[in-house]
Amino acid sequence: MAMNQQELVDTLSGLALFADLSRPQVEAVAHKMTEESHPTGHRILRQGFTGTGFYVIVDGEVAVRIDGSEIARLGKGDFFGEMSILLGEPPNADIVTTRQLRVLHLGGPELEGFLRDYPPVMLRMLKAMAMRLRNANRWRS
Amino acid sequence: MRYGAAVPLSTEQKATLLSKLPLFAGISGESRNRLANVAGEQQFAEGQFIVRQGQVGTGLYVIVDGSVRVVRGSEDELAKLGSGDFFGELSVIDQQPRNASVQAAEPTTVLAVASWDLLALLEKDPALSLNLIKGLVGRIRATGEQHRH
Repeated sequence: MAMNQQELVDTLSGLALFADLSRPQVEAVAHKMTEESHPTGHRILRQGFTGTGFYVIVDGEVAVRIDGSEIARLGKGDFFGEMSILLGEPPNADIVTTRQLRVLHLGGPELEGFLRDYPPVMLRMLKAMAMRLRNANRWRS
Repeated sequence: MRYGAAVPLSTEQKATLLSKLPLFAGISGESRNRLANVAGEQQFAEGQFIVRQGQVGTGLYVIVDGSVRVVRGSEDELAKLGSGDFFGELSVIDQQPRNASVQAAEPTTVLAVASWDLLALLEKDPALSLNLIKGLVGRIRATGEQHRH
């Protein structure tokens, strides 16, 4: 079911990625990004193929699969697609919905400008990346 | 080899050195000057520890001259870094303890940027944040273990 704009802004304000934005900024983000709904079993990103976007999960869940094996699940507030955009490489995993999914979508070429426009979102993403790298158990201090 | 040089780097020299690094490519002139002003030159003798595993990060280090070993535990050498490489950025970003030690492999000169100075710059200059994100993303993917795109 589609949310009205007010509900969407309320929901976005509660996500970690947008937590440091003012209400007018969150409203602008909601306006800038496109809300999409995907049914269960839909493949949103495809391993090895171009055609990308940046997605923030508003509601629902996706499975991350590499060569057909599930390696993680992502839910509300998680985001995906940014790595292949920033690297300029195809996605290296499939992203498949495990139930009805509502996401905010931003076209790949718009991501860098978007992050520059919203430094607090960039910092949140930076911290998320640092955590991901740590979880990958590398040596970086 | 600059080690032991009697004359410390000038702010202009620091700015020039830092601006050659991909990490600081495309940042504003103001940011670069600020960075050069706050970056402290430090020298380490062979075998000296620059950062120790378990400590909370106090800064980012850029190797100006020399090389370092990245070690975990007592023996395990994870990597060797040289001139132009940097380390210590993860602890600055997430304020978690360092997960490896870094030891000078030879007489080594570094530029150190304190956490609070780097964080202040990250908030002011999106180009720097973006460079850092790209650096992290590249490394996450290089691990071959990353869980997302």
